[in-house]
Amino acid sequence: MSNTQRSPALATLIAAALAASSVQTETAHAADQDLAVTIYTDNLALVQDHRSIDLTGGKQRIEFENVSAQIRPETVSLAARDLSIVEQNFDYDLLSPEKLMEKAVGHTVTIIRTNPGTGAETRETAQVLATNGGVVLKIGDHIEVLRDDGLPARVIFDKVPDNLRARPTLSVTVNGAHRGSEPATLSYLTPGLGWRADYVALFDEASAKIDVQGWVTLSNSSGITYDNAKTLLVAGNPNVTGNTNNPGPRYYRPQPRANLAQAGTESGTRERLGDYYLYPLAERTTIANLQTKQVSFLDVRGVPAEHGYEFRNSWMATSNTPLSAQVVYRFSTSAHAGLGDQLPAGTLRFYMRDKRGDPQFIGESHIDHTPMGSVLSLSTGDAFDVKVQPTVEKRTRLGFAHWQTDMKYVLTNALPKAVTVSVLQGGLWGDTSIKAESQKSTRRNADEAEWSVEVPANGTRTLTASFESQF
Amino acid sequence: MRSLLRAWLPVSAALLGSNPASAIETARASTISDVAVTIYRAPYAQPNSLDLNGLGGFALVTETRTVSIPQGESLIRFEGVADGIEPQSAIITGLPEGVLEKNHDAHVLSPAALVTATLGRQVWLLRTNRKTGKATRVSGTLVADNDGVLFKSAEGIEALRCSGLPETFRFESATGVNATPTLSALVRSPTPMTVKVRLSYLAQGFDWQATYSAILSPDSKTMDLGAWVTLANGNGVSFNDAHTQVVAGRLNRTTAEVEPVEESPEIVAGCWPRGTTSDIPPVVAPNELQEAVMVTAMRKDAAPAPMMARASFEAKAVGNLVQEEQLGDLKLYRVPERTSVTSRQIKQVRLLDRTNIPVELIYTADITPNVYNETQPLNKILRTRNDEAHHLGLPLPSGRVSAFYEHDGVPLVVSEAPLRDTAVKEEVEINAGESPDVQVTTVIERIQVDPAPKELPLIPGVVNVRSSDLQNLNRIEITNARPTAVTVELPLHLPDGTNVVRADHIPKTRNGLPTFRLTVPAQGSATILFQTARSTYTPVRPR
Repeated sequence: MSNTQRSPALATLIAAALAASSVQTETAHAADQDLAVTIYTDNLALVQDHRSIDLTGGKQRIEFENVSAQIRPETVSLAARDLSIVEQNFDYDLLSPEKLMEKAVGHTVTIIRTNPGTGAETRETAQVLATNGGVVLKIGDHIEVLRDDGLPARVIFDKVPDNLRARPTLSVTVNGAHRGSEPATLSYLTPGLGWRADYVALFDEASAKIDVQGWVTLSNSSGITYDNAKTLLVAGNPNVTGNTNNPGPRYYRPQPRANLAQAGTESGTRERLGDYYLYPLAERTTIANLQTKQVSFLDVRGVPAEHGYEFRNSWMATSNTPLSAQVVYRFSTSAHAGLGDQLPAGTLRFYMRDKRGDPQFIGESHIDHTPMGSVLSLSTGDAFDVKVQPTVEKRTRLGFAHWQTDMKYVLTNALPKAVTVSVLQGGLWGDTSIKAESQKSTRRNADEAEWSVEVPANGTRTLTASFESQF
Repeated sequence: MRSLLRAWLPVSAALLGSNPASAIETARASTISDVAVTIYRAPYAQPNSLDLNGLGGFALVTETRTVSIPQGESLIRFEGVADGIEPQSAIITGLPEGVLEKNHDAHVLSPAALVTATLGRQVWLLRTNRKTGKATRVSGTLVADNDGVLFKSAEGIEALRCSGLPETFRFESATGVNATPTLSALVRSPTPMTVKVRLSYLAQGFDWQATYSAILSPDSKTMDLGAWVTLANGNGVSFNDAHTQVVAGRLNRTTAEVEPVEESPEIVAGCWPRGTTSDIPPVVAPNELQEAVMVTAMRKDAAPAPMMARASFEAKAVGNLVQEEQLGDLKLYRVPERTSVTSRQIKQVRLLDRTNIPVELIYTADITPNVYNETQPLNKILRTRNDEAHHLGLPLPSGRVSAFYEHDGVPLVVSEAPLRDTAVKEEVEINAGESPDVQVTTVIERIQVDPAPKELPLIPGVVNVRSSDLQNLNRIEITNARPTAVTVELPLHLPDGTNVVRADHIPKTRNGLPTFRLTVPAQGSATILFQTARSTYTPVRPR
């Protein structure tokens, strides 16, 4: 067989067969793309993509390059003047060597063999007969298996079939009323773009004040870069179907520690949309793929903050070692003596200066969307020096479904200053009552009693309480 | 493919510099002039050996760099940050007008990142003739990288590495992929200026632990306690001459998620089906590499962790101790001199050295009455108190304690046990393993029949109410084969509402449990008899 021997008739046949449809295909290039991105906190974004499309005046297919790889195709809408949509497709048939060979079955390819002895190349035309497990070729009047002998052989394909794509591709078949270039807006929802807030709080122990900086953290894993996009951030979680977070039947469960001590009732000056707050970025920005971007939105200094300790014991919990109390910081988001802003959900990281004056990290806490005027009570971790050892001292059966439980809580403080620990005993459901206690408690709710215990510097305090319950 | 790509990677890396995407001026921050590293423990880790490939802790890295900022808007690049950076935690101070935005690109140079970044752009295909050694360069574009790489040249479309010929790509220099983990900040300055900038961030891939060694005196009445701070950096970045601190205490982390920092996507050099007519594996040309190779960036493939210097026996009184200070409700330990926290390294610094600590050796076992328990060896506990009187009185960060006896000057390991975060004045208990010489058996001496036998004395203070059911008579036997008397503590685990009512030894409540404490003589035995009673309630039958 000689070099580049190719039947013109066959080539025409291939070209015709490989063409996906008889409808003319145009590509809407991203050259004059103008993007507006609205990003929600729950890993969801609305992309509005303005670009011009070339209409042929009739039925045609338009392919959009540079749309999010995670696009939700069912949310796509294309709007342009004098345009009606016939159908929208999102093609996932991805171009790979295997797919290329599969689609070449029945067609011809060029084989270039290299002689391992001399290094000389010979060129042949082959027809692909099958690709089941191995590639079977018809070369001239004989049939062979590709690289059956393990010797080098290059396979060259003429072209990529139209319906195989390097990336998932959105195409829209439209009916245009006239011919020419027309500005169009493509809008769609996509996951992979999201944002949350990150806060830096520097606590000063001497003055009991915090400085708080808030940053919006955008992250993009949607597969493409949004160049020079007008960006709007929406704080609030829109309800997305299929995302219901049903915790199942609600039996008795211990309450998780609530970060929000008091929900606020103040309205700020931030832009709102329905019940959501909007955080538009002042300038257009480029959100690159796999990039994390942060933009500042809050900087408040000298807000009063309380530092305290909290220990929560579950019902009948006994420990044979002292357990650390939780370190808790409380501050307000009010316009008066507070942060003076509503806070989008995110992570608040606490820092404190060491003896040398360098800020050191001391723990972090998640916060939910928090209205202005709220009181936040955030835990940063365990206290090394402030501990509580709870023990069930005695259980006495007083009658049928009638018990007395004597609890002892030994509080220790290895700090050189007095501290106040809020001891919470949970699990007091039913009509559990406190019969006797070494100091007065407050019943926060049916489930919990709270004692505020002063523990002297380098000292110990013992708290006792006896409960009467049906269990 | 791996070895080929690897071979030229360093060359390419040198060519890859700045991000070409933006028209904004780029200023590169100088290398680090001063750095501080504070290492935090994994919040809920067990005190096991540190594994460099799975360090659960993190660090706060604070770097000082110098940067020349041009007038107007510019992008400042901080190259060579720790690969485990949590970019959302980055704080930059010292910039003139503040920071417009901070960016972190997870795209880090790897073969796959290179291919993806070059998709649709021009590359050179380099094909070497095995026989003649002659390389041919073909210009073309990358068409696709899904399960195999497709390349388009003037000749047509080909798949990379399906021909059996040595083939590779040569990329153009500017691909926009960072060679090292990089954080950038967009800033605006009214005038050009040179400033010192401080960047601090949290980064994963660090950890530390305290490793104690307790050397017991032959009579087990005192011990010497020494400890090391063992810290580790599993990142690919070194911090030279760093102020180094570790923080003890458990602090909250909410997500501790890291952005996909170089997830090392794989290039799979897949091909079409490659079955042949024979079962015999095809003859592979000598240099032909195994195909369908997975090429990964292998961030953590460096040399295996060096054998951790064990917190074993060591010469007493070792030089510089770390300096402790209070940090809020945590403890901060400062390494006294600057030290280098090198990439993929484990380092040890002395935490404490205390001698002649009085300890009480206690033999203990948990007893469940009213069931037959097999004879079991007692567990040894070394009990002391963390105060001045016991030659301690300093916070003891949680970690692992190895207990030793010295035998002819050679240390013998007795046990290894965890130690929790222990504040000053707290009781310290170190588990020192089992003793087969001291055994305990609990049996039911006699099944209870009414009326209750009255041979055992009533425990003072106990009211034997009529509604109580006196239960079986239990007997605990302790035997001691040791040449010395031993102190034994036996806490009783009783069902809810059950109390010890009669006993020939008086139990004391310890940690909420009735506990017998007694001395068993050398080569002797001891017996405890006791009876428990359960509070019962008989409902009144309606007439």
